Amino acid sequence: MQGNGSAGVSGNGDGAGGDLRIGVFICHCGGNISDVVDVKRVAARIRKLPGVVFSDTNNFMCADPAQAMIEEKIKELNLNRVIVAACSPTLHALTFRRTLERAGLNQFLFEHVNIREQVSWVVEDPEAATRKAERLIRAAVKRIEHLAPLDKRRISVHRSALVIGAGVAGLVAARDLAKCGMKVDLVERSPFIGGRMAQLGKVFPTGEDARPLLSKLMQEVVHDPNITIFTNTEVLSSVGIVGDFRTKVRTTPRGVDARLTYVGNAIAACPEETISEFNYGLTKRKAIYMPHPNCYPQMPAIDWGTCTKCGKCLTSVGGKGIDLNDEPRESELHSGVIILATGYDPYEPLYGEYGYEVFPEVITLQQLWRMLDWEGPTGGQIQRGGKPIKNIAIIHCAGARQYQGVSMPQPDGKVKDYCARTCCTAALHASLEVKERWPEINIYDLYQDIRTYGRGHEDYYKHASEAGVTFLRFDGHDLPKVEKDLRGEAPLVVKVIDQLTNGREIEVPADLLVLATGVVPHDISELIDMYKCAIGYDSFLLEVHPKLRPVELAVTGVFIAGSCQGPMDITECTAAAAAAASKAAAMIAHGQVEMDPFIAQVDEELCTGCRTCLVVCPYDAISRDESRGIAVISTAACTGCGTCAATCPSNAIVQLGFQDDQVLAELNALLDREAAAVL
Amino acid sequence: MADQVMTAEVSTRASATFEPRIIGFLCYWCSYTGADMAGTARMKYPPNIDIVRLMCSGRIDPELVATAFAKGADGVLVCGCHIGDCHYMVGNHKTMVRIPLLQRVLREMGIEPERFRLEWISAAEGARFQKLVREMTEQVRQLGPLNWPGLMRSRGVGHGMDLKPWGEV
Repeated sequence: MQGNGSAGVSGNGDGAGGDLRIGVFICHCGGNISDVVDVKRVAARIRKLPGVVFSDTNNFMCADPAQAMIEEKIKELNLNRVIVAACSPTLHALTFRRTLERAGLNQFLFEHVNIREQVSWVVEDPEAATRKAERLIRAAVKRIEHLAPLDKRRISVHRSALVIGAGVAGLVAARDLAKCGMKVDLVERSPFIGGRMAQLGKVFPTGEDARPLLSKLMQEVVHDPNITIFTNTEVLSSVGIVGDFRTKVRTTPRGVDARLTYVGNAIAACPEETISEFNYGLTKRKAIYMPHPNCYPQMPAIDWGTCTKCGKCLTSVGGKGIDLNDEPRESELHSGVIILATGYDPYEPLYGEYGYEVFPEVITLQQLWRMLDWEGPTGGQIQRGGKPIKNIAIIHCAGARQYQGVSMPQPDGKVKDYCARTCCTAALHASLEVKERWPEINIYDLYQDIRTYGRGHEDYYKHASEAGVTFLRFDGHDLPKVEKDLRGEAPLVVKVIDQLTNGREIEVPADLLVLATGVVPHDISELIDMYKCAIGYDSFLLEVHPKLRPVELAVTGVFIAGSCQGPMDITECTAAAAAAASKAAAMIAHGQVEMDPFIAQVDEELCTGCRTCLVVCPYDAISRDESRGIAVISTAACTGCGTCAATCPSNAIVQLGFQDDQVLAELNALLDREAAAVL
Repeated sequence: MADQVMTAEVSTRASATFEPRIIGFLCYWCSYTGADMAGTARMKYPPNIDIVRLMCSGRIDPELVATAFAKGADGVLVCGCHIGDCHYMVGNHKTMVRIPLLQRVLREMGIEPERFRLEWISAAEGARFQKLVREMTEQVRQLGPLNWPGLMRSRGVGHGMDLKPWGEV
């Protein structure tokens, strides 16, 4: 992989060569530092070091007047290196780098010494703290000699985006990017777009019908000339870096084209059946199918796993519009940024978990919502086992907030210990819906904690209580037990140790037991490898920082949107998708991106071409130039971890900003006993 | 056998006024932030550790550690992100493999295991960092000064840790 950017040692020569003229600026931090560290003494002693032409203190170095003072001193004394000793560099290194830049000095001729978080706040004895501060600044003075001016990496970018997943998050991200004038490729693995939202009847907190809302959004996407939709398409491989991702995709033919007019005939003629994923297994569907009447594209698709290519559909429509022998096509998509919007799956309870699959009366909340859907498989009726439903029990946290050793472990040996967030409100919403339609049905809601955290969610809890839903609270260490009701009152009885009545065991009759199941990430292990995604303890994709970079992955140019990041409701999904779209658009809007220059560089003289660095690089940023027999590092793909620099057996790789000579100068100064003796 | 001889030698070197010098190589994303967290929470620990900031624990070249000892460090601490939390995905996996090997080599060369530790510190584990530094400072204080170059010379090993090009900076 060759980078298209430029980085490295700056050619403009500012501050390089000639006499060292170091300025040291030591911060009091309004007493946070100076109450412990004798900053005046440190400044006076540092002033005596060779190369230091200025050393002084200031009450708040990060304040505007102090920064103006630094700027002034740089110009007045012609400083060519600057050291600021203050708080942690995580807080203000960037602030001071900008100060240097404003003064016309290369911003990387700068050292930040942490004498607050790592000295004045942790060292009790003022004398010891003062010595430590002086030692650290002394080391920075020695280190800074070895710094060279660096240039930020600037990489030109292709102003287009690839969105993977066309659920509600992917649709919003694609729409918003397209509105910024970007070309967007929207790739969906299944034959239809819209994702899981179409499977919901009504959605909280507004109680609107899900599908008309979704249709509105889909229409915007479908009619946007900037968006190209690829259904039935999976990502095979992806190479490249921000601004220049090249993604290979394979499109499986849907077997049907726009000439197919007698859709009903074709579907009726098909003899092959399989369970309907759309209805969560409540019904069956044919091999040629449409999940629901308003799906997009508005034409059926053939499920090649079920189809036997018997040709009956073909004959039923006179051979027009169906092609059973179409071949998959591969294509390459070129994009500047990538958004992953791969969504979630509802948690599938284990066999026997709360009687799931053992008793037919046990269903999931998703299945209940399919039944409540007027256009659903039961026409809006709740049915199970043919008998009228009088009592419904709902158990929360099925596959969520579980405790190791209490709940049945998953195949990976772990339990689902995180809160799935959406199921409390969804379960209460369903209870209310049932109560509104059939007030005579008794509902027993068995919960650990009710977490109706969003705006308007709490109303569902309130209204459910008012509508007569009976709430029983169980402890996550003592789960409800589901048994066959031997007295024959209802098919099932749920026994719960109720915390609300001081731990009394209460038996709840259930004609229907609904498990409010949690949420797990959709299986995207191939994408995770491809885009080097970080994964949280809950197996969802992990952002770089939950507050500062909430929709970014560590690989520059790759973003995450929606419930691939964690359990989210639709409101949160669309907000996250809009955030990802705007971050992605901002990154490539100027046609180029800027990145820190702390990357690895190969000394071509020393490199023996042994390939060791190729093996250790986590980002495949190093390749071997076979004609010259040396390693070549892509300046754009390198993230600057320095692992190759530590590994190279010939010391042929340096990490800019963390070069051996720089680190060793620092070490030498820190361990200089003669200097320490006079401190 | 070599270890026993060494321990005996070490115990005679320990003194009450000895303040150990410890170098901490910390990755920027987790451990350095974890150390900052200890500061933010005003958790006190001994001033004996000097932190050298690197972007990733994967950058910690064994020669850096050896040089620290050769230049007079009495202890070296290496900290990285917990396995699975590395900002660079798997940089710390390399550390996890590399450092124990180095620990064995250094042990063979007479450096007690307490002097060279590898620990994973997350950005939230300020308290753990405090505890670690306190514990390690005390352990190294008990062991006494290392004086590795002198020791090597006296035992006739090498010639005073000539670490060119590392020795001459």
